[in-house]
Order: sequence, then structure tokens, then C-alpha cells
Amino acid sequence: MSDDFIIDDADRAIVEQLRLNGRATNQQIANTLGLTAATVSARIRRMEDADKLRVVAVSDFSAHGYNVLMEVAIEVDGRPAADVVEELVQFPEVFAAHLVTGRYDIDMLVVLRDFDELPGLFLEKFSKIEGIRSMVPAIAVDVIKYKFDVAPIEAREGE
Amino acid sequence: MSAPQLDDLDRQLIELLARDARVSNRKIAVDLGVTEGTVRGRIKRLQQDGLISFTAITSFGLADSARMAFIGVQVNVNDVREVAAKIAEMSSVNAVMVTMGRFNVLAICLFNTLDHLLELASNQILALPGVHHVETSIAVKTAKYNARVVRITEADRLRADLSDEVA
Repeated sequence: MSDDFIIDDADRAIVEQLRLNGRATNQQIANTLGLTAATVSARIRRMEDADKLRVVAVSDFSAHGYNVLMEVAIEVDGRPAADVVEELVQFPEVFAAHLVTGRYDIDMLVVLRDFDELPGLFLEKFSKIEGIRSMVPAIAVDVIKYKFDVAPIEAREGE
Repeated sequence: MSAPQLDDLDRQLIELLARDARVSNRKIAVDLGVTEGTVRGRIKRLQQDGLISFTAITSFGLADSARMAFIGVQVNVNDVREVAAKIAEMSSVNAVMVTMGRFNVLAICLFNTLDHLLELASNQILALPGVHHVETSIAVKTAKYNARVVRITEADRLRADLSDEVA
């Protein structure tokens, strides 16, 4: 997608309103901003069609039963890191996994219902994967911020 | 944190709204075979419990080649809270957590250019009082990720306008 898509003040104001309440009606947004509902609707549509905007529900980790979050860096040895990560992502506890530059080869976010699940995951599941030389965790004791309001937008499926 | 009791209907609602939050209650009700009142009540409860939140995700100003980076920060123990709060204020930082492990604060950010990352990690974050080491790793390939699952903080909840609903 080329980046000649122009976003003006009205677009930004509409996005601002949607960030406050993604389910505000076009009419409510129009009233707040002094626009017409038709304009609001058309502006939203235009940004969505250009994959510049998605109005969505995000859910909290806890909505999925996850109360423990940790980052785990992995050093791989004797096997392509891409193969190791393919095995890791099969586990539902692996919430996110990336191949990274630097001292470690894989960086992942792991989620658990509680700490009781930790030994089984590390000792019985991850340890069976060939090529993992070491795993170094950083356990999140407090999440100050975790939102991706500005993020790459994938095209909608089936459109 | 107590485990929330979500049933199948809640999960279906979350999945549907994660794709597009501007679907009317009426359409959701028809799709899921329940009444509009049920849909309205469920959404309200999920929001009030801090389990879902509605937001606008934009890609303005973000290149298609934008990459994710993990910035591990070692901070004097006494300065951890303050440093984490300051990093969280930086606009290109998407996530900040206080951690126990090889660093005390982990930040996740999206950046367009290496200059942008250098500015963030080596100039802004490293310059904060109490920070003595910053370690950056860049995600060159993402094998798994779900952008719709986040941490809804107390501040997010207070900021949200809970009045429904899309017509």
C-alpha cells in the first residue's frame, strides 16, 4: 500500500472519538464534532477500506484465563531457529513468538493460568524440543502498558 | 486476580467484536441467535469487568515495513516504577512491564527505521535517571502474534466511555 493516503483533521477527530468509544454511533460522533452522520460514516469507511483503521474489541489476558505473563528468550543450537519456533508456537501457552537479532535467537511471550503450570511447561513440553540450548525468562510482575493502538493493519480476509 | 466466568456466548461475542466492533447489537443478536437485550447486557458486563475494551487501531505514520523490537532495561531497583512509567509515556512504545529476570523493565515498541529505534533505546530510554543498561533485540520474523489480546489497565477503563451502542 502506498503512503499517499491523506488523513486530515476531521479524520483524526473521528479516530479520537472512536478511541474513547469504538461503539459510538455515527450520529453521536457527528454531534460531538459538528459533522453529519453521513460524513462520519464515509470517513470511517474510507480509512477502513485503505487498511488505515480498524475499530475492534480487544480482550484482556484474564478474559482468556491467563494471569501470568512472561517473556522468554531462547538460544538455539544445532538447528535452524525457524524450525524451533515452529514447534514452540504449537503450544497455546506461547502467546507470541518472534525470531530476533542479538544474543538470543527467539523471543516469546508465554501466558499461564497460574505458576503451577510452569514446571510442566518448561520441563515436560519445551525441553522435548530439539535445538533449544537455553531459555531465560523475565517474569512480568506488573504490566504498566500493553496496547497496540498504532499497529500494522492486515487486510481483511475474504475481501 | 479471580478467574472470570466466561461462557460460550461471551467467547463468541468477543471473537465477533474483535473483527469489527461497529456491528450493531441487532445484527449480532441475529447472528448468534439471542435477543438484542442479551447482547447489550453481555457487552456492558464484559466492559465493566475490564475484560474487553473497544478501540480504534490505526496505522497512520507507520510504514508497511514497521518492525517490532524488545527493549530490555536494567534499572536501579529504587527507580523501577518511575522509569517504567516514563517509558510508558513514550508514544512509540506499545507495552511496558516490570519484570524479574535478566532485566527489570521490558518495553515492546514498533519502529519504522533504525534511526527511530536508536533514538528511543539509546537516547531517550538510556538517558532516564537510574537506567544503566539497555538491550535491544529486533523481531525479524514473527511466528505467532495476536494483536487483539492486551492488558486493559485501570486507566484504560476509567478513560473509556461505556455508553453503548452502534446503531
